[in-house]
Amino acid sequence: MQFLGHSVPYVLALLAIGTVWQIAVWISDASVAILPPPLLTLATLWELVVTGELAKHTMASLSRVVSAWGLSVLVAVPLGLLMARSKMAERLLDPVIELFRPISPLAWIPLAILWFGIGETGKIFIIFVATFFPIVLNTISGVKGVDPVLIRAGRVLGCNNEGTLFWRVILPAAMPTIIVGLRIAFGTGWAAIIAAELVAAQSGLGYLIADGMEILRSDLVMAGMIAIGVLGVLIDSIFRIIGNQYDWGPA
Amino acid sequence: MTRRDQHSKSIEVVDLGMTFRSDDGTSVKALAPTTLEIQPGQFVAIVGPSGCGKSTLLNVLAGFLSPSEGTASIGKEAVSGPSIDHGVVFQDYALFPWLTVLDNVTFGLKSKGLSRSERNEIAMHFLDVVSLRDFADKRPRELSGGMKQRVAIARTFATNPSVILMDEPFGALDALTRRFLQQQLLKIWSESRKTVLFITHSVQEAVFLADRIIVMTARPGRIKSDFQIELDHPRDFSSDAFRKIEKMVFDSLDEELAKTFGLAPNQLQSD
Repeated sequence: MQFLGHSVPYVLALLAIGTVWQIAVWISDASVAILPPPLLTLATLWELVVTGELAKHTMASLSRVVSAWGLSVLVAVPLGLLMARSKMAERLLDPVIELFRPISPLAWIPLAILWFGIGETGKIFIIFVATFFPIVLNTISGVKGVDPVLIRAGRVLGCNNEGTLFWRVILPAAMPTIIVGLRIAFGTGWAAIIAAELVAAQSGLGYLIADGMEILRSDLVMAGMIAIGVLGVLIDSIFRIIGNQYDWGPA
Repeated sequence: MTRRDQHSKSIEVVDLGMTFRSDDGTSVKALAPTTLEIQPGQFVAIVGPSGCGKSTLLNVLAGFLSPSEGTASIGKEAVSGPSIDHGVVFQDYALFPWLTVLDNVTFGLKSKGLSRSERNEIAMHFLDVVSLRDFADKRPRELSGGMKQRVAIARTFATNPSVILMDEPFGALDALTRRFLQQQLLKIWSESRKTVLFITHSVQEAVFLADRIIVMTARPGRIKSDFQIELDHPRDFSSDAFRKIEKMVFDSLDEELAKTFGLAPNQLQSD
């Protein structure tokens, strides 16, 4: 029931978008190849679903994002924890991160192709870059944001070395912020994989819409875009549900 | 309670002074060299104007700050850092929000090498004393401020420290909740007779709870007066004896408040 309640605004938004879209089709009188009507696009989307095309491309994109994001978690969370706890590590690494952060992950696509070709490795690399910074930065701010009084409380309650204090107080206290970072990172990864697949791929949702453009099927392009949007919202809500488990509110 | 040995230790503070230096090179003397001895099992309240260094004194004893001069010892042993033997109750509760009430109270017992069932048994006993047994499975966010502080008090007493340092523990609570918590604190304290150092802004609270009240001067803080309170518990706020002591403490404090606010003492008539 709660899920139904949450989806009402989304259904209304889709209806509104569809209406504006249909009006635009009527007014512009554009050809089907340029601006297909919403119902035709939905039919195309349905066709992609029944033929299994959509599932195939979704799995291709999703598995790339999941593996690159997972790799990023393994590297970025420990690095963030280290940078937040060690002044030395922060001094050394912070400038490096600040210099790389403004470079869009998409700017790495040419290098990724040169270095890794158009195979899987290049795309994993791009998503790794896209997901890395939100995770590092949120981990650092999560750890630094731990209420100092909780650290004091931990120390007078038997955490008499840094390790115990870290596992019993700092990490759990920082967890909600770290999870926000993981969620944001998955979102940026999801956006970046489409771009990477537009340029160099034989599968994936990005490939699906690039292919639609080449054969002048804008209904295919738009159906692919709708799928990307809907999947993005679904993945994000899964993260929200997980995040809510860690949202214990103020003490 | 026979299952655990009761112990409490003395507190000795010798010529303890604290000067804070800020980044721009200026320094503030928070605490003038102070000497103080507290017997094991004594309940001592410290009152004084804001900024008189009473919290600084507590933070040094807790091991959170190193003094600029002098020494602080607990049970003849110099304080070298925070320890589970020196319990602290914080003004803003400092409960771990991700843990249940029960797990908050067992937190400190984990480092004592007790089994899970022993930890839970001890924790439930102390939750019982503060009347929160039924809230063992709740999260801190589901509790009111007063309940949180009772959990925090149970958490500290459960670890069986030899001294308990309380930094304005009821400062954030409303007057009625405060009264109830004062009674609960006396109840839990009378069971173990730990040495307690209790910092407060409320003279009435100090007279209600303590065996001994220390009044501190305005910054830089030093000890101005030291009162022994010989009244039996439970103390009656409205009794003449209570009022007389209250007046004595207020008179001593008023001179300091006048200094803090730049007034003549007679401009500050206490009730």
